[in-house]
Amino acid sequence: MGSIENLVTQIQGLSGSIDDIAHLHNILKVADESLHAEPSALSSVLDQVDPAKHSLGYLYFLEAFTSGPVSKEQALTLIPILARFINCCDAQQIRFAPDKFVSVCKRFKDHVLLIESPLRGVSPMRAAVRKLQTTSEHLTTLHPDFLLLCLLSKSYNIGLSVLEDDIFDVDQPRDLFLYCYYGGMICIGQKRFRKALELLHNVVTAPMNTINAIAVEAYKKYILVSLIHYGQFSTSLPKYASSAAQRNLKNFCQPYIELATTYSSGKIAEFKIYVDTNREKYDNDKNLGLVKQVVSSMYKHNIQRLTQTYLTLSLQDIANTVQLGSPKEAEMHVLQMIQDGEIFATINQKDGMVRFLEDPEQYKTCQMIEHIDSSIQRIMTLSRKLNAMDELMSYDPLYLSKVLFTQVGRERQRFDFDDFDTVPQKFPI
Amino acid sequence: MASSSSGLTFKLHPLVILNISDHYTRVKSQLHPPPSAHHCAPAAADPFAPPAPAAADPPRVYGCVIGVQRGRTVEIFNSFELLYDPATHSLDRAFLDKKQELYKKVFPNFYVLGWYSTGSDAEESDMHIHKALMDINESPVYVLLNPSINHAQKDLPVTIYESELHVIDGIPQLIFVRASYTIETVEAERISVDHVAHLKPSDGGTAATQLAAHLTGIHSAIKMLNSRVRVLHHYLLAMQKGEIPCENSLLRQVSSLLRRLPAIESGKFQDDFLMEYNDTLLITYLAMLTNCSSTMNELIDKFNTAYDRHSRRGGRTPFV
Repeated sequence: MGSIENLVTQIQGLSGSIDDIAHLHNILKVADESLHAEPSALSSVLDQVDPAKHSLGYLYFLEAFTSGPVSKEQALTLIPILARFINCCDAQQIRFAPDKFVSVCKRFKDHVLLIESPLRGVSPMRAAVRKLQTTSEHLTTLHPDFLLLCLLSKSYNIGLSVLEDDIFDVDQPRDLFLYCYYGGMICIGQKRFRKALELLHNVVTAPMNTINAIAVEAYKKYILVSLIHYGQFSTSLPKYASSAAQRNLKNFCQPYIELATTYSSGKIAEFKIYVDTNREKYDNDKNLGLVKQVVSSMYKHNIQRLTQTYLTLSLQDIANTVQLGSPKEAEMHVLQMIQDGEIFATINQKDGMVRFLEDPEQYKTCQMIEHIDSSIQRIMTLSRKLNAMDELMSYDPLYLSKVLFTQVGRERQRFDFDDFDTVPQKFPI
Repeated sequence: MASSSSGLTFKLHPLVILNISDHYTRVKSQLHPPPSAHHCAPAAADPFAPPAPAAADPPRVYGCVIGVQRGRTVEIFNSFELLYDPATHSLDRAFLDKKQELYKKVFPNFYVLGWYSTGSDAEESDMHIHKALMDINESPVYVLLNPSINHAQKDLPVTIYESELHVIDGIPQLIFVRASYTIETVEAERISVDHVAHLKPSDGGTAATQLAAHLTGIHSAIKMLNSRVRVLHHYLLAMQKGEIPCENSLLRQVSSLLRRLPAIESGKFQDDFLMEYNDTLLITYLAMLTNCSSTMNELIDKFNTAYDRHSRRGGRTPFV
């Protein structure tokens, strides 16, 4: 008990400047063991320490306090404390002990899921993510948890706001897989299929030594989303996908690949039969909703194909070609597509003719200027990053050894170590 | 130097300035040949001209200016060179007469208005030449070009002097007095001066350097416009705050300038303008994409060289 009191006074004293906090951190690391020994005694102490000013100390106490299994009622009481802490803690102090912070947040997420109200966890988790990130391009371990909460509580918009940031630094590869997978699902929920495709593509082509379940699930969704968005799917993975992925992914996703081949034949009736026969498999993977969207997208793609052949077409003809029931249904479909901006057409209701038009975008509005300007800015940052990486690569010893060796090695049998005295030898060459 | 009180307005055409500087540059480079076989741009005030090797005084060149005098306005259109005889401190009179006759045939309106020379300031010896010319024109003008480059100076280093009879120490003497002048351009002159000013070195032939030079020119022009507008803005703000007394004539000028903008205002102009603006932006975007792709390509090449264990360059493994 006495040691805990001691700690409290030290925390209150040493939470001023950066040096003090570093010193405090060392003290806390040493005292961590004793804290974990008596978790229950800490509840009274928590009131004495202010989460905003003494974040580091509070974090240690909290982490020790919440370790161990909790029941539902305990979770209910803990959640407001944790949420308050996350919302008002000081980001600088937290970054001294990131793993403790991560474990506290993960426990918070577990509690929230335990009481089955994920919505309560969304906003604190977003604050946690922003505080843990060193820059907005940094992917932390908390990102996937945050996205999971967004998915479960169906608050897709908040998830989307985090997904808009481009990622350049990743803490752990597993985070990237989960983040992109959940991100893809959120984008599907918001019907932003292009971004979903991008994210799922990242999962599928990420470097992996052995196949993992996340990639398999992501590949299934990838096939379906690619059918919805593009109307076609190619089974060959790009060259940069890992060899493990290229060999094994297809074996796990057989029903989906057959679905894609049936889709490409263009016959809706056959397609629907195929879907019905394999309904349970899709249901087990929880992809049935997506498959239904694929079915409706088939009509859309067929109508879009018509725009490339005809200038005007009657509604009756559209219904016949696309195998819809009646001209009324065709009209509804076309109307919906015009509203979504997928085709440009005018419907003449008097004689039931549809006239297909060109893209009316003239590129002469101010919004277009802003749009292009923001794209240019993004590409400028990307270009700067690429240049920095290129420079970094030029000093890499492995690269230098290979490049210089190929010039030297043809004439000489061995290196002279003296030549390379100034090169830092991180590993034996 | 006192300023002129004759009340004459002088208008100088840029051709005269170019002629004088060209004459000076030629003579100077012939006298002191430059160390390398560079082709000098024909402006003596060109900062890229090679520095003269340790020379004595820069040579002085002399010539005649011709033009028209209508009432109180003296307009100097053209000039030609004259030979100077240092022994007699006078210009070659016969040559001048012959040249004048030739020019009269082409330009019947032009008269000899005066003479020019180079140097930093008017000197006493110049008065001889001035008096010699007085029999052609009773009050000649003296155009002086200062060939030394002074980067701090913003105006043209050209001064026009008139001669006036002043009583000094009881003796009436002719002295030079400065006269103010304006530069007058005809459209053809403006174009040719512009062209001459933008002569690029002949080995800057690649499209990239030419484009870069062109864009740099535009950039500096816009920068200058920006700084001048800022000065005006600052001044107006100060006037608004009351730090500077209000000057109504200046305010009137500013307001008339503002009323002239925008030059065109119509729907069709907006459309075309925005479309062209968007086109340029798209091209910039495309250029950046290409740039990025090429950097990416290099990066991936390096990465593959360093980390790809399947390729063996040179046929040998790195030894232990």
